[in-house]
Amino acid sequence: MVSKKMKVVNSQGFHMRPVTEFVNNMNKYNADVKIIAKGNEINGKSLMNIVASCIKFGDEIELQCTGPDEDAALKAAADMIESGFGEE
Amino acid sequence: MLKGIPVSEGIAKGIAVCIKSEDKSENKQCIYKKAEDKDQESRRFNTSLQSFLEDTQESVNKLKKRGMEKESGILKSHMEIVKDPSVISKINEEIENGCCAEEAVDKTMGFFADIFEATGDELTMQRAADIRDVNKSLRDKLTKSESADLSNIPKGSVIIVDELTPSMAVYIDPEKVTGIIAESGGYTSHSAILSRALGIPAVLSVPEALLKINDGDELIVDGTTGDVIKDPTDADEAEYMKKAEDFKKHKELLREFSGKPSMTLCGEKKDVFANIGNAADAEKARSDDAEGIGLFRTEFLYMDRDSAPGEEEQLEAYRKAADIFAPAPVIIRTLDVGGDKNIPYMHMGKEDNPFMGFRAVRYCLENQSLFKTQIRALLRANTQGNIRIMLPMVTNLCEIRDVRDMINKCCEELKAEGKEFNSNVCLGIMIETPAAAVTADILAGEADFFSIGTNDLTGYMMSADRGNAKVSYLYKAYQPAVLRMIKFICESAHKAGIPVGMCGEAAADTILTPCLIAFGLDEFSVDSGKVLETRKNISMWSFNEAVEVSEKAMALHTAEETEQYLNSVKR
Repeated sequence: MVSKKMKVVNSQGFHMRPVTEFVNNMNKYNADVKIIAKGNEINGKSLMNIVASCIKFGDEIELQCTGPDEDAALKAAADMIESGFGEE
Repeated sequence: MLKGIPVSEGIAKGIAVCIKSEDKSENKQCIYKKAEDKDQESRRFNTSLQSFLEDTQESVNKLKKRGMEKESGILKSHMEIVKDPSVISKINEEIENGCCAEEAVDKTMGFFADIFEATGDELTMQRAADIRDVNKSLRDKLTKSESADLSNIPKGSVIIVDELTPSMAVYIDPEKVTGIIAESGGYTSHSAILSRALGIPAVLSVPEALLKINDGDELIVDGTTGDVIKDPTDADEAEYMKKAEDFKKHKELLREFSGKPSMTLCGEKKDVFANIGNAADAEKARSDDAEGIGLFRTEFLYMDRDSAPGEEEQLEAYRKAADIFAPAPVIIRTLDVGGDKNIPYMHMGKEDNPFMGFRAVRYCLENQSLFKTQIRALLRANTQGNIRIMLPMVTNLCEIRDVRDMINKCCEELKAEGKEFNSNVCLGIMIETPAAAVTADILAGEADFFSIGTNDLTGYMMSADRGNAKVSYLYKAYQPAVLRMIKFICESAHKAGIPVGMCGEAAADTILTPCLIAFGLDEFSVDSGKVLETRKNISMWSFNEAVEVSEKAMALHTAEETEQYLNSVKR
């Protein structure tokens, strides 16, 4: 398993549209993707789980990837979140 | 047993397949069907999911082309919602627990929408609407995919729908669907026309059919009477298999005798009319190729209600039947209540012997305002001049005279009121009492026509109630007493130059046909399903042959001998 901690940088947080892309992207990897936020473990490939978790601007989260392509998955996930999903 | 409107003839036997479509109003509580087959529900969900994804992708592409990138993102989210592993696993779980696909989708989407709404986060709460939107789209897909499902249902299925739509009909395979039941629709509804076009027996307007019938129930559907029998007994099956056989025979006759005149072998023209109980039956009688109506039993207009039907309501019913057959005669029998037909609001009182009591024309002549309403409606409906009025239970000449006086009075009233009517109406009588039969020569002097009601005539002649098992053996039209009466009635009518018909069951009796031809019966009025068979029976005999048979039959001394002889020469 590889993991990385980070802060949510986009103002709207993990809302529907960016998370759709995120989930879409994560589904390309075999690795399991988990988001740890506010003490909850969230399936990083489930739009519903993520959106329902209401992850907001400034929240501290941890990404955990487990599987054959875990490094690539973690990098892709972190890139998206750290770039604020291309939003402000 | 359930009952509905028969719209497509024939007998169907099969296993129920309930098809429930989406409730059109959103507030209406959905009724889920019981999922019998989990794999099938799972397949249904997957089919609707694929179809939803394809359609949504198409919309995404269109929006993108028009530069609506952001909007297309919303739709992409919708696709992601249904592909979501937690959504899919929950739906599968619900189906596994016995939900149908619709219920599984509703439960799952409702579950997530509730979670979203419970977050208290404005943005997330708004997304609950997206989930409900997806929910609705999936349900729409499931409804539409029903049509596709129709093609996959097993052989020998009776389908139950709320309404049969043209899009469904496309997928119905008559090789597999043996019968159709719908909660709505009448004889001229889309469902009815489609069922007839497909040649599948159908009963429509069966109240709460989808609630009362479950998937997998064994059913018999009688598209001729409107009966739907759930879990039939062996006796039911035997009865309906015979009916199915008869129907097949009828179909063959239809090809051979439909649209042809009714004629004896030597070319003598006869009329084959139908007996009906309401105006809607008239349409069926027409399609069954009846040449006119020999008996319109108006008492059905008066039954199952709290007060007598008004003049306008009756006018409409009579006019409808008259229009369908004009210029051919439509013989309408005036109210025949009493005996076994009790109508609570008429307060007829309990009698020790109702069959010999205050009934039919006797009751009507005492209750003038009730009778007048009917006579006025008949006179007004007679605009095409093809309505004939027939009196039931006549026993003597005075009754005919009294009614004729009343008709004249009604004509004067209508004229004074400036209403459109036709006073040129034939007044005939049923010959169903021994008194009328033996005085047929007297009655023929003032009646415009006769119609022999063999059912009651046989009962009264033999003093035997057909419903009483101990004496019903006496109840036979082959009894010399009955046959002699019929012969005398026909002869009396002809001497007076008036036509004579028959509207009892004997008119359709194959073995009696030669006798009736020999007696000179002009008109055979039968159940509309028997019109063609009767036409065929008539076509088998020349007058001379019929007379030969009739003379031999009339020379026999017992009903048993007569029946045996007539059977031996039957064609």
